[in-house]
Amino acid sequence: MGGARGCMHRITDRQGNRCCRKLIMVPVRIMLACAGILFLVWSAGSSIASAAESGRLVEKGGAYVFVESMDPATRLLLERAAKQGIITQEEYAQVVKESEARAQLLSPSFKAWYDRGFNLSMNDNDFFLKIRFRSQMRFTQRFRNEAWRNPGDAKNFPELLGVFGDYRANRSEGNASSFNLRRVRLYFMGHLFSPDFRYYIQTRAETAENAQAPGSLALLDWNITSTHVPWLNAQVGQYKVFYNRTQINSTASMQFAERALVQDAFTASGLDRRDIGITIMNDEEVYPFNYYFGIFNGSGPSFNRIGGFTSEQPTEGCPGGATSGNPYPSPAGCPSSQRNLNANVRFDIDRLMYTARLNWNIAGRPGYGEGDMAYSETPQVAVGGGYSYNPAVNTSANSSYIGTDLANLNFRRQLAAFGNGRVLGWGVVDFSSWATDAVVKYRGFSLQGEVYFKNIIRHDKGLPCMKDGCSATAPGFLGNQTGWYVQSGYYLIPRKLEVAGRYAYWDPDTRAADDLVKEIDLSLNWFLNGNYDHSIMVTYSNVQMGTGGYAIGRSAPLPPGSGSVPLDARGGTLIENLIRVQYQIFF
Amino acid sequence: MPKPELRRVQLYRNFLLVVMSCLIVINTGGCARLPYTTTLVHEDLLVEVKLQQEVTSAGYTHPARLTAEEVASILKGFSLRPQKNVPVRWFGEEAPPKPVFREDEILTLSSWLAAGLLAANAEERVHFALFAPGMNPSNERDVTAGWVAIREPYFYITVEYFHAQVPLRKSDQYDYNYPTPPPLGGSYLLYFEPGRFWLSDPNGERGLEYRKFLTTAPLRRTGSP
Repeated sequence: MGGARGCMHRITDRQGNRCCRKLIMVPVRIMLACAGILFLVWSAGSSIASAAESGRLVEKGGAYVFVESMDPATRLLLERAAKQGIITQEEYAQVVKESEARAQLLSPSFKAWYDRGFNLSMNDNDFFLKIRFRSQMRFTQRFRNEAWRNPGDAKNFPELLGVFGDYRANRSEGNASSFNLRRVRLYFMGHLFSPDFRYYIQTRAETAENAQAPGSLALLDWNITSTHVPWLNAQVGQYKVFYNRTQINSTASMQFAERALVQDAFTASGLDRRDIGITIMNDEEVYPFNYYFGIFNGSGPSFNRIGGFTSEQPTEGCPGGATSGNPYPSPAGCPSSQRNLNANVRFDIDRLMYTARLNWNIAGRPGYGEGDMAYSETPQVAVGGGYSYNPAVNTSANSSYIGTDLANLNFRRQLAAFGNGRVLGWGVVDFSSWATDAVVKYRGFSLQGEVYFKNIIRHDKGLPCMKDGCSATAPGFLGNQTGWYVQSGYYLIPRKLEVAGRYAYWDPDTRAADDLVKEIDLSLNWFLNGNYDHSIMVTYSNVQMGTGGYAIGRSAPLPPGSGSVPLDARGGTLIENLIRVQYQIFF
Repeated sequence: MPKPELRRVQLYRNFLLVVMSCLIVINTGGCARLPYTTTLVHEDLLVEVKLQQEVTSAGYTHPARLTAEEVASILKGFSLRPQKNVPVRWFGEEAPPKPVFREDEILTLSSWLAAGLLAANAEERVHFALFAPGMNPSNERDVTAGWVAIREPYFYITVEYFHAQVPLRKSDQYDYNYPTPPPLGGSYLLYFEPGRFWLSDPNGERGLEYRKFLTTAPLRRTGSP
């Protein structure tokens, strides 16, 4: 059954049920949204008074010194004068007070300094701005085996070309040498009204290693956080979903130049690590047990579900997209194709993604940065777990041929970019994802790992049709996804030189054979300043990727319009050896 | 997959698994290489004094009995200036030394340092930190920190931070969850007045002949623990 057709039927058949759910869910969502906004507005109105000082800290010669308001020479003369009786003690006290008041009035109402970024603050600390820049410049030497030449990877990371998003295999010759600006980030962060009302903006202008177009400036994060109530912090905007350890951690504080493939495949939404929404949580620096509950669009960054369209013929309820004749099997009563490339209807736009994460700092507070950079004097141990439910992700249907209905190209591109390409073409699916993690840090040693499981629930229950009249179907059903990784590191020179290793395992389709992805990484990291801000990493990676299993539009039987030769006609294991030399500077 | 290629893959995997296993064994067998805290002598909003175990044999002559006034007199004499890296050191402007401690800091610190020197054993040093509000008081604090020890007849002092801005939290409060480890200790050139008591010990380390100095120095008023 085609995904688009199934979608129509579901709406028709379940109209009553959905209306009932809407009646319940809509007011709840409105109340949640209002509560969040009211909370933020209330938070913004609160302020903390700051004490006045009769001097200030100034940076001079790389150090901070406290400078009193009154000139020392004046103070000395006044003290002598008071001691010799030229002026009375009352006069002395009065003139000192007036002098300090004058200095206070004459001093600028703001201060600016450099400390891990350019800082600008009003003297009352009601406004604070920090501007930072981060760049990861990288050289990559890549060695691939013959299987990368043919068949290449068409299943986990397929390339989607053109407005139709036709699938292409990612193929290449064996050796590649490239320089890359892997991360180029500009940050604006600080607080407004009070230190407990914070804002955060991150832009990027980078290029992925295999990007087909030059990078351009884009908004990565924009969010506001209220920390007025330590047990009820709230964050609203676009940011990385608090779901699993790997994705919460910044790429600036990793033990390896790149995340493992399995880590990227298991994001909360299944699409991207970032999303737009709201999270409530407590302050993890205050409480050993932390919670994070979030509601998001579930459609990735800078995007929402209303932007995700699918096709319908002018006749309501008849899936569109066929170039000739009806998509098959089409609902009874649907005429032959009336228009091509409709892309004119939005379904499932009332859905949201729900996430939850719990974290228990059993000993100390290891935080999310990888490795024991701080050289913890006492053991730092934490365990955590997350759950995410992202319903109604339209992966596009196999109707007619893969790209014709133009459905949700943005969704599909995100799926492919994060390694979930095997899900493409299976219609509308729900992602129900689990992640558990643990971390230990102690005196330069670190060990952390995560286990992932993603249950993929198809809305269409039958096997997808591949020929007219459903005379041929996909050979089997799509499975779920699972994976894990473990990584360990040790500082050979505390806070300076670290060696780290990682093993990652990923089964992108539990029903498929010969599709496992296994990765081993070794890294030698030199942190020049004893922190993550300035580092040189040399990371070696060995990645083995199975090409087995069935992928719609790439494996036989192919749907019409997808060519006559499957992209995986020749099998094999894709093997890649990489050496990445990366320099990071964050200032 | 062709058999030779399969064998090569297995060879790679086995090799890397062995390397990783070795790494984990080395890691778990690793030992401390930085001094670590054994006893917290005192902590409040302004000052923290604790004892740190040295990782190599230090042979200090602790416990050492010094009065708070004697410690204050010693601290008063120290000044410093940052040591620039090569090649900046060759061309950089020589900043005049600044006193390490202000009067109020000496008043706050000396009595607790005296208590620490009395409580420490021969392998422990006395670490201190003085706190003040930072440039952004909600995010960081101004810290002057270091450690002192005595190996007769010398009094040793090392300054790690001199009015350094040290984050209050383990992760950045603005760049959420980005770790903010405290900055590495700076490198400072220390001076003492009168300079005739500031000497090199037999190991070439700079130390203060404090007993001789104290016989000549006026004692200073201090706070009490």
